[in-house]
Amino acid sequence: MGTAGVALPWARISCELRREERRVEREEDSPAVSAPPREGSNEDALLARACQSGDLRAFERLYRLHGARMKSVARNLLGTTSDAEDAVQETFLKIQRGIGHFRGQSSFATWSFRILINTCYDARRSRLRKKEVAQEEPEESLRPEPRAPSAHPTLRIALERALERLTRHQRDVFLLYEVEGFRHSEIAGVLDISETASKNTLFQAKKNLRQMLEAPRSREREAG
Amino acid sequence: MSAMNVQCSDRERIFLDGTGEEWAALEAHAARCASCRAEVDAWKALSRTASELHEEWDSAWLWPRIERALVEDSARRASSWWARLPGGFRLAPLGWQIAAAVLLLAALTAASFLLFLDRPVPPGDEALLKDQAVREVQRAEADYERAIDALDARARPQLENASTPLVASYREKLQVLDSAIAELKSEARMNPANGHLRRQLLAMYREKQDTLEQVLEAKP
Repeated sequence: MGTAGVALPWARISCELRREERRVEREEDSPAVSAPPREGSNEDALLARACQSGDLRAFERLYRLHGARMKSVARNLLGTTSDAEDAVQETFLKIQRGIGHFRGQSSFATWSFRILINTCYDARRSRLRKKEVAQEEPEESLRPEPRAPSAHPTLRIALERALERLTRHQRDVFLLYEVEGFRHSEIAGVLDISETASKNTLFQAKKNLRQMLEAPRSREREAG
Repeated sequence: MSAMNVQCSDRERIFLDGTGEEWAALEAHAARCASCRAEVDAWKALSRTASELHEEWDSAWLWPRIERALVEDSARRASSWWARLPGGFRLAPLGWQIAAAVLLLAALTAASFLLFLDRPVPPGDEALLKDQAVREVQRAEADYERAIDALDARARPQLENASTPLVASYREKLQVLDSAIAELKSEARMNPANGHLRRQLLAMYREKQDTLEQVLEAKP
């Protein structure tokens, strides 16, 4: 196509990224669930550079690679699919605004997930403030949306409620590890903690959840 | 399978950070120990149920929505970035680094003005380089714009008879891009030497070119 031969500064990066994209697409065997971010991959660095140059295709690639997992993380932190989608959109805007400050200390994907989690907590806080202002609002509207049917619906609902009673730190680690399949090294990057801290926090989270989920069953047994 | 000897007291350590081999040994031990069996089962059930909390759903319109927001935000920031500069009175929100850079620049300008005050300057030479660079950029930009307009003319019939949601989405994106380009061009007319605005404008042209190419490649 004619472009009057004007060389654009980011054209080289874009081409490189597209070549890498094709290579990755060949290697991927169409996974049903997007893979969690992996540290230090070549594509991750290319994506970061292309996003820094303002290439919208790079943002799209980031979305294609991690959007599904981003939506799921946000859905579990915010309770509804529409809030989750809003949070993902807000995350992309923050990535675009802040990409100039990204120095590559962590992987680009890890950095993006960190922004997502902070965005979700901002949304939770703002929702809490609104709830405080409008006390008369019926509680029904703040309940999480029902989910797709599952093998253990009762346990899942109990788990969702118990998760809300964990500390933020424990909830984040549990969600990233057990629900989204991140590794401890990746969680360490996302939450800016050590790998050991991630393992300890997960252990504490599971112990607390175990106690919370066990208590109602014990009461049932005693009543029976 | 494993010669490892695991006791009930090892259970929590293995839950915390056990290797695959240690887990296998714990499973073997739990086959003979009811309390460990119950704990291992509960621990695993928690992980199983947690994996059901991962949810995926289709939201085909989400990326186009994000893309539009990115384009609009980028255009808005490009214009507001310049709007802050000319007065120089509202530097505080820009951060101390930019304020320091502006002060340094002002000091250097003043110093060079004092140094070269006595030297005769040939008439019309003061802004020659800058003006020439701006003219070159403007010429290249005009060529590029003409090429994109030609591309637009070829894609126009397909866009106007948008028969698929994909083409309709491209049309909507192009409208957003056109409005961002118009805004940036009007800013650039007022501040022709602003390199940041020029780069933003080129990014928008490039995005428009890519989108038009996609429209032409899309099946009618």
